[in-house]
Amino acid sequence: MTPERIHPALWRATQLAKGAARNLPTGHASLSAELPDGGWPLGSLIELLTPHPGVGEIRLLRPALAQLETRRPIALVQPPHRPHIASWMSWRLDPRQLLWVAPQKPVDTLWATEQILKNGSCGALICWLPHVRPESLRRLHLAAQASDLLFIAIRPASAAQNATPAPLRLALAPAPGGLSVHILKRRGPVCDTPLYVGLEPGALTPSSPRHAPLDRRLPALPAAGRTTPALAA
Amino acid sequence: MRRAGAAAIAPQVELLPRQPQAEADTLHGAALALLQYTPEIALGDADTVLLNVGASLMFFGGPRALARRIRATLGALDVRVSLGMAPTARGAWLLAHRPGRRVPRRTLTLPTLTRRLDALPLALLPQAQARLDWLGDIGCHTFADLRALPRAGLQRRSTPDLLPALDAAYGQAPELYRWIEPPHQFSRRIELMDYVEHTDAVLAVARRLAEQLGGWLTARQLAVRRVVLSMEHERGRHARPPTELELALAQPVWQAPQILHLLREKLNHVTLEAPVIAVSLLAPDTVEQPAVSTTLFPEPGGTAADHARLLDLLVARLGRDQVRHAHPTPDHRPEAANSWGDALATPRPPQPLPPLLDRPFWLLETPLALKLSGHRPQYGGQPLRLVRGPERIESGWWDPALTVRDYFVAEDAAAARYWIYRERDAEHARWFLHGLYA
Repeated sequence: MTPERIHPALWRATQLAKGAARNLPTGHASLSAELPDGGWPLGSLIELLTPHPGVGEIRLLRPALAQLETRRPIALVQPPHRPHIASWMSWRLDPRQLLWVAPQKPVDTLWATEQILKNGSCGALICWLPHVRPESLRRLHLAAQASDLLFIAIRPASAAQNATPAPLRLALAPAPGGLSVHILKRRGPVCDTPLYVGLEPGALTPSSPRHAPLDRRLPALPAAGRTTPALAA
Repeated sequence: MRRAGAAAIAPQVELLPRQPQAEADTLHGAALALLQYTPEIALGDADTVLLNVGASLMFFGGPRALARRIRATLGALDVRVSLGMAPTARGAWLLAHRPGRRVPRRTLTLPTLTRRLDALPLALLPQAQARLDWLGDIGCHTFADLRALPRAGLQRRSTPDLLPALDAAYGQAPELYRWIEPPHQFSRRIELMDYVEHTDAVLAVARRLAEQLGGWLTARQLAVRRVVLSMEHERGRHARPPTELELALAQPVWQAPQILHLLREKLNHVTLEAPVIAVSLLAPDTVEQPAVSTTLFPEPGGTAADHARLLDLLVARLGRDQVRHAHPTPDHRPEAANSWGDALATPRPPQPLPPLLDRPFWLLETPLALKLSGHRPQYGGQPLRLVRGPERIESGWWDPALTVRDYFVAEDAAAARYWIYRERDAEHARWFLHGLYA
């Protein structure tokens, strides 16, 4: 008797959760294999921890964003820098989809995020929360559950030390030609080793013998319970 | 009761002169707000508003639901009401004026109305006031007693409008009313009883005005694109122009709660510089109400109107500059091409897609000068390794911002990608960070 037959929210600790109704394929086979249900869950808070802006977080989400209905906008709330339209267009995505919300106060950021989640007309919501209290995150997670948005919160890597209400939490770090993704929290067994996600088609993967040695170590990653190494500011 | 008598019984009572104009204004405002339920509204005598809701019952879900909504609307206007409902307007008027707290005031059929009216005291009927003593002396105290009297004799011995009023109440004679006409322009003003220094109190008044605006828009089949809330300050020595709050909407709206929601967000961010003595609401820009098309299956993510509502809400609280849409400009210089504009403006037609360029997703507002270690630029203490480049961008000779640059894609030791450039015309190569590959 498998536990998910009793209830979709049940799973064995050794296996990945299955049965969440709504998810969006990530577009990266190696990452999808490690995520519950094989994709980004919709209507749930997903935390991405980055050491600094610009490690490849948007490129990681790009295949998922490209699958959204073109009619539904993609909201960027309080991005750290100016989003570059030419980059978006070079990915063959419609720039009219982008909605850049730049609140001036942290309170307004949370308010705007919650309103976008409640309204539900956007297809995806990516918000940058450098400082946020766990209660606020829990509240946003609850608001997300009533919607079908792809809701990503991007937080600094130092947040890995604190608990989170998000069911899925990934720590990202740059890697040659891609990203190294460490799954810190998921509905499934603990993931010890970081994954490599290639972001450039035809780029050299770390296993390719010409330029990168096989035993190349991935950069140190923040993990729960460990102090974060000093990272490039 | 005289003024002195009242003061003797309750010395703390504050006596105010009666303001018939303000009363008439309130009544008219209530009638305007109720126009959202029926176009047939008349002002009755003794501060009464008469609504012919015969055609609206099905639409609003029956008499009970309609009464609840009317009560809520009037509650939002801070008006205390007693609602009567009957098949005849005069019958409803009498039931509404019936004294007592928990007496039935709603009837839907004529026989029940007849039974209810028969039990009412004659003193309720204004047309009977003139001969009330005489009628009491002959033992005629209720409507039933009056109807039992011979009509011809009653007609001769009482005021001529008594019998027609009685017949109208029982549904035996037709009633004629002059329905009120909604004005062509909406502009309502409420004078406040007191000086108001907080926006919360202004919001309470704005709620009354928004309800009236909602009624007016429904009656005239219009939707509003721009709303101006004007708060007037004290006149005299400290006279100052009224504070105006303008609400521009992405999508025309006509529902009062939506207008109020936006006004609330807008008002929360206003600090009053002087006390407010009057508040007025204007709707200068109206359009025809768009026809509502309902789809059989709801679309995921709601309609375009839902999204427009979201934009309105965000703009109302955060300000117009903080909610942006991409407005790409054809230019070779990245900072000039990457322009973001007003989200409420109509989007431009899509531009032809540019050739595939390798561009970073983050563009720094101002390029960051990089230090050099040896001949290599460094960022964050780490030397950068050039991966691709150069890409030469030389443009803008017609502008003060002439751009003569060689762009490179660089990587640091951790393999994070950066978009950096070297100024070409400088004598010593100066390096700048311009973008981050996200």
